[in-house]
Amino acid sequence: MPNDLMTLDQPPITARERKFSRVMLFFEDVIKVPVFHCQHCGECILSSTGFICSQNCPKRLRNGPCGGTGEDGSCEVYPERKCVWYRIYLRSKLLKRVSLLYKINKIHNWNLESTSAWLNVFKKRIKGIILFVQNDKQKIKDIISNDI
Amino acid sequence: MTFKEKLETNQFVLCGEIGPPQSCDDEVIRRKSKYFKGFVDAVNITDNQTAIARLSSIASAKILLEEGVEPIIQMTCRDRNRLAIQSDLLGAAALGVRNVLCLTGDYQKFGDHPEARGVFDLDSIQLIAAVAKMNSGFLLSGQEMKKAPEFLIGAGANPFARPFEMRLIRLYKKVTAGAHFIQTQPVFDLETFTRWMGKVIEMGLHEKTKILAGVMPVKSANMLIYMQKEVPGVKIDEGYIQRMKDSNDPKEEGVKIAVEIIQTLKNIKGIRGIHLMPLLWESITPTIVKEAGFIQ
Repeated sequence: MPNDLMTLDQPPITARERKFSRVMLFFEDVIKVPVFHCQHCGECILSSTGFICSQNCPKRLRNGPCGGTGEDGSCEVYPERKCVWYRIYLRSKLLKRVSLLYKINKIHNWNLESTSAWLNVFKKRIKGIILFVQNDKQKIKDIISNDI
Repeated sequence: MTFKEKLETNQFVLCGEIGPPQSCDDEVIRRKSKYFKGFVDAVNITDNQTAIARLSSIASAKILLEEGVEPIIQMTCRDRNRLAIQSDLLGAAALGVRNVLCLTGDYQKFGDHPEARGVFDLDSIQLIAAVAKMNSGFLLSGQEMKKAPEFLIGAGANPFARPFEMRLIRLYKKVTAGAHFIQTQPVFDLETFTRWMGKVIEMGLHEKTKILAGVMPVKSANMLIYMQKEVPGVKIDEGYIQRMKDSNDPKEEGVKIAVEIIQTLKNIKGIRGIHLMPLLWESITPTIVKEAGFIQ
C-alpha cells in the first residue's frame, strides 16, 4: 500500500507564488490547452497516461476507467465520446508505456487547481514528466512479481 | 462465524444484496433481511445505487445488524469528499459495521437527480488505500487515531467492460491498494469471465485477494435485453436471452440459469465465493441458495 496517498502543499504556496504561477500558466496553456485539452488540475500526470489528459473524464478519474466503458470504447456519460481511459490505454499500448498505468496516482490536491504544473514540478510538489520508457513488457512483469 | 473469518479460513462464501427504499421505512429492510438471514454470510447495502437518493447505507447496515445479518456497506465517491468519507466510515465502524465495499459510484446523470454535482474527490482505488490507512490507525491527514477501525475492504471489478487489459490493471491496483475481497459485476458471459479469471490467476492476484463472482437472477427476458442495451459495461450471452424468451415460466427459467451459472463458477479455479444480486427480487434468494446446493 502506498504510504503517501495525497499530494501535499509542501512547500506551501505563497501569495507571491500564486501570482507568478498565473504567468507561467499562460505559457503552459499555449501548448497544453489546444493539444491536450488541459483541465488545469495543477498536478499533471500526462506523461504517465499516454499524453492524454485523464481529467477530461467526467468523473475526473486518475487511476483508470470506471466500469461503464462501452463495447465500442464509448463513455457511459457521453456515449458520443470515447472513454478517456480507453484512449489512454490504446495510446499507452501504441507508445509502449503501459507499465506506467500500473502506478497508483495520488489523491488530487485541490489547492493546486489552476496553478502551473511546471512550477509545481520545480517546487517538487509533484513528480516530473517521464520521457522514455524502456522494456515496457519486462517492466510490467517486474512490477507484478515484486508486488504480488 | 463472521464473513471475515470465513474468508480468512478459505471457506466458500455467499453474499447477498439489498437496495434500501426511497423512503424512511425501515420495515422494508427488516422484511428483506429475512430472505437473507441464515442463507448468506453477509449482505451488501447499496449506497444510493444508480444515483437515486435512498435511505443511507450505514443506517440500513445498523438495521441489518439489529436483525442479525452481517452487512457490507457500499461506499461511493460520488456523494462525499474525503472529509465526509472518513467521518461516515468512522461512524459506521462505531455502529459495528466491519465490511466496506469501495466503489467510485454511478454518474449522477443516471439517477433521479441528474442536475446534481458529482464529487469524485477520490476514486475507488484511492478510497481503498484511504480505508487501508485508516485501518492502520491514521486518518488521511496523518492524524493518529486512538482507536482504529478494522474494516474488511472490498472492491468491485468489471471483467466485461473494455479494454480487457485495463480491467486487469485496475484490479491489480485495487489489490495493491489493499482490497481484501473483490466482487465482480454479474456474470452472464462465462467465456469472457473464464478468460479474465485465467489472467487473474496468471498475475497471481487470486492469492492476494478473494474473488467473489457476481450472479444476478432475472425475472424476464426484457430485463436481460434492457441490461444489454442500456447498462454500459454489461455483456450478456445471447443464449440466455433466447432461453428466457422461449420459456413458458420465465421466473423459473431465471432461477435455473442463475443456479447453472453458480455451479459453473463454483468450479472455476480462484473463485472464493458468490455474490448474489437479486435486483428487486430479494425473495428468490432462499430458493437459489437451496437449489445451488449450499443449504440442504
